[in-house]
Amino acid sequence: EPLPPHVTPNPLSSFPVPCVHAGLPKPTNITFSSINMENILQWSPPEGLQGAEVTDTVRYFIYGQKKWLSKSECRNILRTYCNLSAETSDYEHQYYARVKAVWGTNCSKGAQTGRFYPFLEKVALTTDKKSISIVLTYNVSIYNTKANKTWSQCVTNQMLVLSWLEPDTLYCVHVASFVPGPPRLAQPSEKQCVSTLKDPASALKVKILFWYVLPASVTVS
Amino acid sequence: GQEFQFGSCRVEGVVLQELWAAFRAVKDVVQAQDNITGVRLLRKEVLQNVSDAESCYLIQALLKFYLDTVFKNYHGKAAEFRILKSFSTLANNFIAITSRLRPSQENEMFSISESARRRFLLFQREFKQLDVEAALTKAFGEVDILLTWMEKFYQ
Repeated sequence: EPLPPHVTPNPLSSFPVPCVHAGLPKPTNITFSSINMENILQWSPPEGLQGAEVTDTVRYFIYGQKKWLSKSECRNILRTYCNLSAETSDYEHQYYARVKAVWGTNCSKGAQTGRFYPFLEKVALTTDKKSISIVLTYNVSIYNTKANKTWSQCVTNQMLVLSWLEPDTLYCVHVASFVPGPPRLAQPSEKQCVSTLKDPASALKVKILFWYVLPASVTVS
Repeated sequence: GQEFQFGSCRVEGVVLQELWAAFRAVKDVVQAQDNITGVRLLRKEVLQNVSDAESCYLIQALLKFYLDTVFKNYHGKAAEFRILKSFSTLANNFIAITSRLRPSQENEMFSISESARRRFLLFQREFKQLDVEAALTKAFGEVDILLTWMEKFYQ
């Protein structure tokens, strides 16, 4: 029977397993992580209970709704993660999750995540009748080591031709994927560096300088 | 460059990424203050299936409310939580958008504007049922929901 609209659900009523709230330490570092469209709840075990037979129970909550929901596969578990992808698949909803530690008949308070918003984690997809195309955009950063300048460019294909580079200069490049919409932290590639060749013309100038001009000045003086 | 197209209302010169970056910087701090998790102001009934024609009326009403009520009265909290930079970025961009919205006032648009007004009233009524400070915190914490909806009209 749903709660009155403006009452925050009682933390203990959300866990059906009867346990005594005995001040056990809560699990810590509880967060959602979103990797390749999978939303995994992760946490660290409670401190100070190493060696004890502690299990964890997970609950999740849809922001704006009234009841905490459970996932049977994540009740009284020993591991410290729970895949809530199916439960958090509507990316227009926002979610909370809670984990409580259980030791025998004693239990901790629930450790709770912040408000998790799958939309901020999604990858931009477009679709037509028969296919889904993923628009992958890359943010290429180019660093001129001589001028100590960096510029970046967005490209949607796997090749970028950099022209107008300075001769005999070391350039370092790294690439990160880029998805339109809310800013997301992308893991950049490793840096790759390469030197441009010496400018044949300047080499010629040097030749001229050494081979013709200098000898002449030597003979004159 | 990209622009907002709320039906016939076009708004240029606003970079949505900047709004996202501003909110993302304060999201955890602001949403952590909202303990009434059983209430969502910008519910699906407010924002789902909004027609293009309706969208200009709805965005104008929502942004005007955010400026006149939420930002105006949340400024003290924003200073307290040291999030004034993001707070100002969002407020200034909302001002920029509303100042360029020109929703049509023609008679045949009356039913559409009324539909948008009913959606807005759903939001406003929910807001008024809460304690003022809690409502302000919740509304500001839901700016990501608002930006998500606005993004659908950003091309």
